[in-house]
This record gives sequence, structure tokens and C-alpha cells, in this order.
Amino acid sequence: MKWQPVIPVMLVLCIMVLSETYAAGPVIVCIQCHATLTAKLSQPVELWQTSIHAEHGITCNVCHGGDSTDSAQAMSPAKGFRGVPAPTAVPALCGGCHMGVAGHYTNSAHGRALGRGGPTCVTCHGSHDIKSATLDLIGSRNCSKCHTFEKARLIRSAMLKRDTMLMVIEKKIRMLKSQGIETDQMEKRLFALRNRFHAMFHSLDIKLIIMESDHIQAEIEKTNGVGGKDTGPLAGIIAVGWALLLALLFYLIKRNVD
Amino acid sequence: MINIFRHIYYWIDVRLGTHEIINEKRTGYLLPRNVNAWYSLGSVLLVIFALQIITGLLLMLYYVPNVDKAFTSVSFIMNEIPLGRLIRLFHAVGSSMMILVLLLHMLSVLFMGSYKSPRELHWLTGFILFLMAMGISLTGYLLPWNQLSFWATTVATDCVSAIPAVGRYLVELLRGGKLVGSHTLGRFYTLHVGLLPATITILIGIHLFLIQRTGVSTPPFGLEDTTNSWKNGKFIYEEHPGGIPFFPNFFLQDMISISLYMACFMALVFFFPNLFIPSTSYMPANPLVTPAHIKPEWYFLANYQTLKLFPSEIIGIIVQVLAMTFLALLPFIDRSPEKHPLKRPLFTFTAITCILLWIGLTGWGFYS
Repeated sequence: MKWQPVIPVMLVLCIMVLSETYAAGPVIVCIQCHATLTAKLSQPVELWQTSIHAEHGITCNVCHGGDSTDSAQAMSPAKGFRGVPAPTAVPALCGGCHMGVAGHYTNSAHGRALGRGGPTCVTCHGSHDIKSATLDLIGSRNCSKCHTFEKARLIRSAMLKRDTMLMVIEKKIRMLKSQGIETDQMEKRLFALRNRFHAMFHSLDIKLIIMESDHIQAEIEKTNGVGGKDTGPLAGIIAVGWALLLALLFYLIKRNVD
Repeated sequence: MINIFRHIYYWIDVRLGTHEIINEKRTGYLLPRNVNAWYSLGSVLLVIFALQIITGLLLMLYYVPNVDKAFTSVSFIMNEIPLGRLIRLFHAVGSSMMILVLLLHMLSVLFMGSYKSPRELHWLTGFILFLMAMGISLTGYLLPWNQLSFWATTVATDCVSAIPAVGRYLVELLRGGKLVGSHTLGRFYTLHVGLLPATITILIGIHLFLIQRTGVSTPPFGLEDTTNSWKNGKFIYEEHPGGIPFFPNFFLQDMISISLYMACFMALVFFFPNLFIPSTSYMPANPLVTPAHIKPEWYFLANYQTLKLFPSEIIGIIVQVLAMTFLALLPFIDRSPEKHPLKRPLFTFTAITCILLWIGLTGWGFYS
């Protein structure tokens, strides 16, 4: 028996032993059923599996209601099943969790046009393949569905520098984490900062975005300094140099003694 | 100031005769004239072992050998304790360096024929020390309770199950249960901080005692007669009249080698710490998620790859046990008096082939 075949066997054994814990985990009956249905009805499952919601364990019932653990009650109105929400209900539905964004959206031109052809959350973020909020969503592909890209371009440009900085911090966190450096505090700050920054876009108020971007910039700089107790190369250079110097010193003494 | 030290020295000397010890045992302790820097690797290893003990004791102040707390305690040491990160890296990188220097020490002994009579026991104790060092590294590997250590230990201990009849009982004995868990951590911790360091210390003592009793072997380089002068029949201490005094001459060579080792070691710790510690080492152990590539430490990669080469794991294990037994008993098998590597081509060719094979298998294991 080689090493590799052992791994799945051990995994199965682990699962058997930990079956109680495993069974207590969320079983999503919606997925079990829909995955076997026709293309139209199974496609949402495939799309959801690629989404940021799936990544964070946000399952079907969070948006559609019902009981995702019981096949019989999965689509029961008594269990809060609401099916496909009406387009005008989407912002309120998403705003149930994304409260900061909802506030900005409601007061924006987008929010005021709700029910009159204005965009809802799913217009840009998708309904099942829900995409993470990045600047890639602000582009002519999405914006040009309703109007020209010109104003959105200004907002995007104003946000680009800070968003790039946030991405740099994220990369730094990943790097620090791979070196065993505690990054919890830094991650939490980054998460809050990015949410605040991305939520602000939904106001569509370019003056507010530019003004807030300056505040965000200061916060980013603070966050960048959190965590990562790196001794830097100086300590290493001193340590290595000191050892080499000692070697040279002993060599010179030895030459003298020999 | 110097006077104070002189007074202290004389105070001790008249009570313990330290001057006599230094004079007879160190300055009067002569080494062969053609002794070389390879002979100082033993001292380097002593320093490495001492550093491992010191850093290990410091880590024990904060490490918690409990599956729920082991990972966080290591993370706490690395992030919250002053110099904790450095101490942990010293210990982790030091274990790999210990194996590397041990291998170099063994290779120098092999190629200079220093294992030959009457030094069979020196080789044997050294070989057992090497196995103990591998054991202490393996047991220490599990202690941080991260993804890599958990799964590598799961796979490594599972190899024992290939032994016919008793294999699965041995696995349970090692793990303290059917799976790697809290009992395994307890057992490995006890072995790592108690039994193995004590055994290694005793073996080092025996190894040094043997060297002291027989005298240092003469290297085969720069001499006309490179054969082993020892004759079976009675005990003879190998003296080196007109040789180099251990103190201060060879002591200074030891210090040069130790300083150079420390320079390399510090460079690794400060600039390339992740060479021996992959990023999966910083993820807590999760019995339900198997990492994509489970690889043992670099010094087990050749064994790991050998196991994969054979159709049956038991054949792979038998081949490795036979190879290790042959190496352990080499002084009893190779009885030729010649010590110079160029004058024993069969040995040199075989040794180089084996080294290349080991390097090849290690590389293959790494990239497979």
C-alpha cells in the first residue's frame, strides 16, 4: 500500500469517527433536489456554488426562505418560503444583511429609480452567482445596460487607488499568515474597512466618495501597520555578520597559534 | 579585573587540580597532525543539540500539549512572547540542521574509514544517535498540531500497519488509538521532551567516552601508509606523538566551524525560515480536510518515495530496513584495513552511487 491511497481511507475513517459532528452539519436539501432537476432548475445550484455566498456558507433559505434541512418543509410558506422575490423587494431582502449598502443605495439615484426600471442588487452582483464586491463590477458591461459609463468612470477612478491599496494589504496578510504571523486583528480591520469603502460606492455621490476616500486612506495606513511583527533584515544581517566575524577572529588566532 | 579572574582560577585550581586537567587532558591531548576541519563536526553537533535543548525548554514554558490548545499556544509563542518567534524558528530550523550536520558527520567518517576497527562501537552508537535524531524530529513535528504535522503523522504512523500480523496493533500503540488524536499528541510529547532527549544525552556520553578511550582516528589524507594500524589482540590507545594539541589549536578549529555553522543557521532563520516550514504548517489541524500535498520532512522524502516505488508497502519497508541494517553493521562487514577512499574504489563507487540515489529519491519525493 502506498501513501496516497491511504489518505482517502484515513479521511473516511476520520469521518466515520466524527460522524456525529459531521451529521450535525448543515444538509441542504434544496441543493440535493435541485441538482437533479432540469437545466433551468438545476442551473441556480451550479451558479450558487461559484458564488461568494457559497464560499461563506450562505445557503438558499437565507434569501428564499423555507427549511433547507427538511425536504417536506423546504418550500412551505409556513416555514417562511418566499420563492423568487419580486424585483422591487430585492434591495430590502439583500439589505437585511448588507445594511450599510442598503442605506446608501436607497438614497441614491439607483434606489430612487426602484420599480421604474432602476437597477437592483442582482443587476450588478448577479442573483445566484453572486460576485464579491470589487471594482471589476463597475465597468461599461454593467453600467452601459442602463446609461453611459462616463459618471461611473469618475467614481471608479476615485476609488481605484484606495482599492488597490486594500488589495496590497490583503496580499500582505496572506504572506504574513504563511509565515505564522498572527493576522486576526488585521483581517478584521481590513474586512470592516473594505465593507465601508465598497458600501460607499452605492451612494453614487462622487463628492462624498472623494471626501470619504481620504478618511479611508488614513485608515488603510493604520491597518497596514497592524500585526506583522517583522524583525526586518537588520537583525538577521547583524546576527550573520557577528557569526562570520567570530569565525574570522578564531581563524586569525588559530593562524597565530599554529 | 584580570587579577580577580586569576585569583578565582587559582582558588579553584588548588582545590580541584583544574590546571592539571587542562594540561594533561586538553593541551596534552594530541590529535593527528593531518587532522582536518571535518573532525570538528562532532563539536558542531554538540552545540546544535545544546541549542535544541535550550530552545526546547523555553518553548515548554508556553506550549500546551493538548489538541485544543497546541496550535494556539504555538501561535501565541510566535506572536506574543518576546523573541518567541525567533526561539521557535531556532528550534524548528535547528532540528533540520541537526539531521543535515549528522549526515555530513557520518559521511566524513565513512569516507575517511574512521568506522574501522577498533571503532565499530563508535559507529554503532553514532548510527543509533542518528536514528534517535530522526525520531525526535518526527515526534516534535506533530506537536504544533497543524495541518501538515497532523496529516504527515497520520500517513507516517500508518506505514507501520504494513508489518504483517502485528502492524495494526503497533499503529494503535503508537497513536494511542485508531486515529491520530489527543493520545498520540500525549505520547509524542512524552517521547519528544522526555525519553528521547535523555537517551540521546546518554548515547552522546557513551560516544564521547569511546572516542576518549581509543583516541582520535588518523585521517587517511596526506600519508603514505593509509592502512589501519590496529591489530586485534589487545587494547591500544591510538597516540599521536608530535601531534596537534586539542587546546588551543583544534579547539580554535572547532570554534571556526561552530561560528560558520551559526552564520549559515542564522541566515536560514532570519532570511529563509520557510524553507523548512511550509505555509500549511500555519493552519490548525483539521481531521476532516486533507491538504492537497502531504509530504514528510525533507530527510524522510527518500523513504517516502521508496515506499511508493514498490508494488507492496511491506517490500518497501523490508528493503529500507535491510539497507539501514547493512549501514549500521558496516564496520563488521567491511574488514579491509585500507582507509583512503581512492584506494578502495568499490566502496567509494558504491557510497557515491547510494548518495546520488538518496538525493535523487529525495528530489523525486519532493516534486512527485
